[in-house]
Amino acid sequence: MQARGRCWKFGDNIPTDQIVRSDRALASMQEMRAHVLENLNPAFARDVQPGDILVAGRHFGQSSGRAIAPKALAATGIGAVVVEYAARLFYRNCFEIGLPLLQCPGITDAVADGDVLAVDIEAGVVVVERTGTHVQGEPTDPFLLTMLRAGGLIPLAARLAGEEGLAGEEQATG
Amino acid sequence: MNLVEKILARASGKRAVAAGDIVVADVDCLLLHDLSGYLTSRVFENEVGRPMRYPDRVVMVFDHHFSPPTEDRARVLEENRAFARRHGIHLFDCGSGNIHHVGVRNGFVRPGTVVVGSDSHTPVHGTLGCFAAGLGNNSHAGMVMPFGKAWFRVPETTRIQLTGRHEKGVTPRDAALWLTGQIGEGGAVYRALHFAGDYIDELDMWDRWLFPLITIDVGAKCGFIDPDDKTLQFMSQLTGRPFDVVRSDSPSEASETMTYDVSGLEPQVAASPTLGNVHPVGELAGREIQWAELGGHGGGRIEDIRQAAAILRGRHIAPGVKFNVVPSSRQVFAQACEEGLVADVFAAGCTWFPPSTGSNQAINMGAMAATEAMVSTHARNFPGRNGSPDAMMYLGSASTVAASAVRGKLADPREFLA
Repeated sequence: MQARGRCWKFGDNIPTDQIVRSDRALASMQEMRAHVLENLNPAFARDVQPGDILVAGRHFGQSSGRAIAPKALAATGIGAVVVEYAARLFYRNCFEIGLPLLQCPGITDAVADGDVLAVDIEAGVVVVERTGTHVQGEPTDPFLLTMLRAGGLIPLAARLAGEEGLAGEEQATG
Repeated sequence: MNLVEKILARASGKRAVAAGDIVVADVDCLLLHDLSGYLTSRVFENEVGRPMRYPDRVVMVFDHHFSPPTEDRARVLEENRAFARRHGIHLFDCGSGNIHHVGVRNGFVRPGTVVVGSDSHTPVHGTLGCFAAGLGNNSHAGMVMPFGKAWFRVPETTRIQLTGRHEKGVTPRDAALWLTGQIGEGGAVYRALHFAGDYIDELDMWDRWLFPLITIDVGAKCGFIDPDDKTLQFMSQLTGRPFDVVRSDSPSEASETMTYDVSGLEPQVAASPTLGNVHPVGELAGREIQWAELGGHGGGRIEDIRQAAAILRGRHIAPGVKFNVVPSSRQVFAQACEEGLVADVFAAGCTWFPPSTGSNQAINMGAMAATEAMVSTHARNFPGRNGSPDAMMYLGSASTVAASAVRGKLADPREFLA
């Protein structure tokens, strides 16, 4: 799982309410995508290209755990989200919907908005092409990598149900 | 093992689990509200397409809307009702109260169980000795509804040891707000927080409630209090359904302990833009407010209404202030009637609203213009959650809310309780 694209850089403690405004929570995904992060950088929704990389600071995606926030980001076609660290519901939701996320302490000091980044999720590495810097992120649990490769939780759960009897009384573990 | 580890081990059919393990556990209760429940129902029917495995374990509460403000929202609620009928899940319609209070008061939340929900404040149920965590729509739609299960990474545990006593006018909510600032937003990411100590032991259940409530906003996965006699007595009043009490083994149940003394604490206020922006009320006193509310996920308890009434009796709110009171459940409203509190706060100029989650996210009430400010018992103060992103939200105790409403400016409740 690799991505390469322009870095869109955001700050610390950004709540999901700022990713998708709560009054748009029941809007179409097309509308949510068109206004994603509107209060923080209106250019993002307009100019983001498939494969671009969203970089943010500490506790990204705090507040409501609605998966519409990562879904609206995924709808822009971004290749990955790279953060100092993510709020746990946002972290979980990204993998469940199939959007690669890397926790990478030090990333905000290492990149500038507009840099071209190459991200390798399995290796946990971000390369900043302007400076040649390699930033090592945290390892991702193999269960979550399996979930990403499956395309998210829903296809993974369906597959586990078939293979390991998830629908039965005995549990399956990843 | 501690309470969370024991519950997750039992629910996943294992003898033992340890922090970092990924488990697939049986879920005892799924709580959905009208907004996220709708989003979840669309994913379940459009993308999963399997039957609802255990409809009796799924509860939907219309709490963000106490009535639909637009035709579009009326349609959403109608679709939710049809979804509930199609799948045979429990439905509590408009006017029932806040999702978490309805879940507890109707016996769906019991000690020793696994409780999940679409509301991010679902960890509040750790107050009763549950493992309770908020999950995303796809977890509910993709695993809980079709299989009755959810995946979890077993969290590391931090014991939050609390001691001390408050002076008059300082409340457990002040301690909880202060603690949010002490731990910090994201200060406990992915951890379980075990609230313990003399301070917690001495609190009644609905005051204990305020501590697991903050866990999501410091980044934690869940919070819990080991059940004691108070828990069992509380449960015996609510439900005859059976449960197994689970308690933590001491002493090595947490990987770290943080100790706090709340003695001498002043009333606290968390000002927008984030919950970590907590100050003693004195530092913010004098800032104008136009709205006051006892509501939201944090408020609407009988304790809140009593605290406010103690300040409002014989007084009137300031000109230009609108003070809305939102009971967290029908039972709380009935109790407030019985104690004469409904008339008391009405006489002081307050307006009663139906049992619900109040103006949280500006769906039914309380949207603010850019120039306005609110002081409330809400659980959150993020920009744009209650109208304009430029509107201010100050969070405080019910005493601080009432004192500020009387003055028209943020005020220290101790000046009214001499």
